[in-house]
Amino acid sequence: MSETVVELRNVWKVFGQRSDEAMKAIHARGLTKPEVLEEFQCVVGVQDATFSVNRGEIFCIMGLSGSGKSTLVRHINRLIEPTAGEIEVLGQNVNAMTASELRRMRAEQIGMVFQHMALLPHKSVRDNVAYPLEIRQIPKSRRWAISDHALGLVNLTGYKDRLPRELSGGMQQRVGIARALAADPEVLLMDEPFSALDPLIRLQLQDQFKALVAQLKKTTLFITHDLDEAIRIGDRIAIMKDGVVVQIGTPHEIVANPVDDYVREFAQGISKLKLVQAHNIMTSLAEFDGSTDGAKRARTDDDLDHLISLSVDTNLPIVIQNDGQDVGVISKSRLLKGIQGSAE
Amino acid sequence: MLDAVKPETKVVAASDIQTDHEELNASISEFVGSNPEYYIRSFAKVHEATGWFPRTFNTAAALLGPIWSATRGIWGLFWSGLLLEILAWVQIGRGAWGELGGDMLRQAESQLARAEGFRQRAIEAATNGGDAARFEKLAENMTNAAERSQGLAAAAAAESTTILLTGLIFLILIRLWQGFFANNIYEHQYEDWRVRPAKTESGIKPRNAVLGVTLLVLVVPLTVIHFTLPTLIDSLGLFPQGAMDEFPADRSLYSSIATFLEAQIDTAASTWSGAFDSIVAAVRWVLDVLTTGLVGTPWPVVMLVIVVAAWRAAGPRVAIFVVAAMTYLALLGFWEVSMETVALVGAAVVICVLFGIPLGIWFGKSPRAYAFSEPILDLMQTLPAFVYLIPIIAFFGTGNPPGILATIIFGMPPVIRLTALGIRGVPENIKEAAEAFGANKRQLLKDVEIPLALPSIMAGVNQTILMCLSMVVIISLIGGGGLGKSILEALQYAAKGPGLLGGFAILFCAITIDRIVQGAFSGKK
Repeated sequence: MSETVVELRNVWKVFGQRSDEAMKAIHARGLTKPEVLEEFQCVVGVQDATFSVNRGEIFCIMGLSGSGKSTLVRHINRLIEPTAGEIEVLGQNVNAMTASELRRMRAEQIGMVFQHMALLPHKSVRDNVAYPLEIRQIPKSRRWAISDHALGLVNLTGYKDRLPRELSGGMQQRVGIARALAADPEVLLMDEPFSALDPLIRLQLQDQFKALVAQLKKTTLFITHDLDEAIRIGDRIAIMKDGVVVQIGTPHEIVANPVDDYVREFAQGISKLKLVQAHNIMTSLAEFDGSTDGAKRARTDDDLDHLISLSVDTNLPIVIQNDGQDVGVISKSRLLKGIQGSAE
Repeated sequence: MLDAVKPETKVVAASDIQTDHEELNASISEFVGSNPEYYIRSFAKVHEATGWFPRTFNTAAALLGPIWSATRGIWGLFWSGLLLEILAWVQIGRGAWGELGGDMLRQAESQLARAEGFRQRAIEAATNGGDAARFEKLAENMTNAAERSQGLAAAAAAESTTILLTGLIFLILIRLWQGFFANNIYEHQYEDWRVRPAKTESGIKPRNAVLGVTLLVLVVPLTVIHFTLPTLIDSLGLFPQGAMDEFPADRSLYSSIATFLEAQIDTAASTWSGAFDSIVAAVRWVLDVLTTGLVGTPWPVVMLVIVVAAWRAAGPRVAIFVVAAMTYLALLGFWEVSMETVALVGAAVVICVLFGIPLGIWFGKSPRAYAFSEPILDLMQTLPAFVYLIPIIAFFGTGNPPGILATIIFGMPPVIRLTALGIRGVPENIKEAAEAFGANKRQLLKDVEIPLALPSIMAGVNQTILMCLSMVVIISLIGGGGLGKSILEALQYAAKGPGLLGGFAILFCAITIDRIVQGAFSGKK
């Protein structure tokens, strides 16, 4: 499970004509962003990003527009060249690849989905999905079979002979996802794929996408500006601000222990019902002095939402089990505090 | 989200909102520099005005006219005011001191002198026994003419007061208009200044005042004197005679440069003759292929092919029109020349497209190449065809192939431009997507850029076809054949009937080609 698929070490991106000089000055003198802009007319897009993504993980990168998240993720398939730092994908150093090695990696190991779909308007849905295979010069019969299968994964089987413009926005984005899956890549890069869609379709696609990725076991980097979305989808979340990765953690860690006011501001509006799990707020059986006779049972990874529905018609505490063993207790007052966010 | 709503912001009814005069007045003071109190008051009135007519009157603007607008840096007002005032000043000058009817008086004087001459000859004739009565008669007529001239001169002089008054009234109206509208115009400049402080003139600058007065002193007296006392400038002897009427051009400079250019062209033509000849040979080959197809093939076959093409591309209505047009051409004996014209146009278009589309793709991808090519393309399109016909004759000789080359110069820019436009218009995100899936440069061009730019490229090809068609008449001047030749012959003999028939033949060819091509491109049936 913990095999690293994508790894970034001290990645910097400085935009501007004198970016190399600026980079040297940053290393030597530790210039700040405004100083770099002033002295070299260069903009720091990504500042010293380091993280790794494990196999099968959905790693969300969250930040407001202009925080450098799209720039950062484009380093992974080298659509953008880093100014400094190392990037490894599946153990290969991306920076050191030749042009043809890079194209091969893009075509075979990395699939990408874009905010504005970026489908080819003159090709049918089927040919759009098959385009990554066409680039690899796979014969048409094989291409069509694979693209039909990929369209099946996103429930678009009946639409393969349509043109993209005949489909709704949500369907077009599903075509985009099918296209990214068609080459059966190890890594998926999702650049705000659901941002341009309306909220209901977005919720639907988030759920479908999460299920699909779990089933196909793809390692995913998912960019979003919406913390709700990051929490729904992500196994871990990296929060970016002005080109800096300010915090990396599980959704629960981000919400429970924000590192600074910026993250706290985001985390405030997040509902904890699906986020806080029984083991976060339970007390051990030894500490609990009341009676647990006739109490309902729940598992350690059940969320607050589930615990609330268990306790609505009883005043008894809830006993928490792990693998059938009683490991802890949650009293009603403890539960209420947990909902409030002060029980931890 | 972070501090979108400041706590001190209160909700106020629209009618209760007050202007922040402090900020506004400070900024107006900064803008006007001197005399801020007056302009704060005036601009306030301008801001409160509801109708179109101004409620303020700027006395300084009315009294000083263009000098005021120059000092304040309102150059638009300065120039319009100056031009109008020159008109007024010329009238005033003519009325006050101009010799109205001066030329009439001079005419009368010379007429009187000639009358005197005739009288002398009459006296001589009387003494020598000649025809004295005839000279008497001539002298009398001349005297009458002189009297008429004097009458006209007097009448013109009598109008001097009217002219003077008209000029004065005009000047006063201009100044009144300036007085009334100065503050409105100045307020407009103030608004511009708020948006672009670095690029808008503000305050009073001595440099502007000096510039305005200098322009005024240079322009007004010279113009007024030129119109009122035309002989004065020449009589001063400061400039060569007539220097104010005509620019003293240097004829020898013209002829030496022309000779030099001619020598250069001749040298180039003989040095590169091999290259020019092979270009002509290549063009001739393309033309021959097309001519063989269109003229050499039996006419029923060609007609059938064209009608079927029209039907498939543009539908039955266009096909019926094409049948009618071809009947006209064939019945009046234009068939062969028409097909020659089509072959000429076709050869030019084929070469334009063959070179134009790759060039357009290159220019679309490289901004530097595009910037470099832009002036050349402009030149190709704006230079009148007659101008480059001459070097074409020098380099390539006369006949059909040089004519096609001239047509290409005129017809190639649209396909280059529109291809470049289409390539540059391909959305960046679609190109990025193709790259992200591992497309190389060739695949990007073939699968993304050309298909997405295709509508623009096709529009360019269509434009090029039409441009070539319009040029094909002109090339008959350098020995090009086809319908252009028939029309040129009609033109040379002013033959109205044949000219008109030939003109219609070209029109029908053009419409036929245009309809078929447009139908094919738009895919309409």
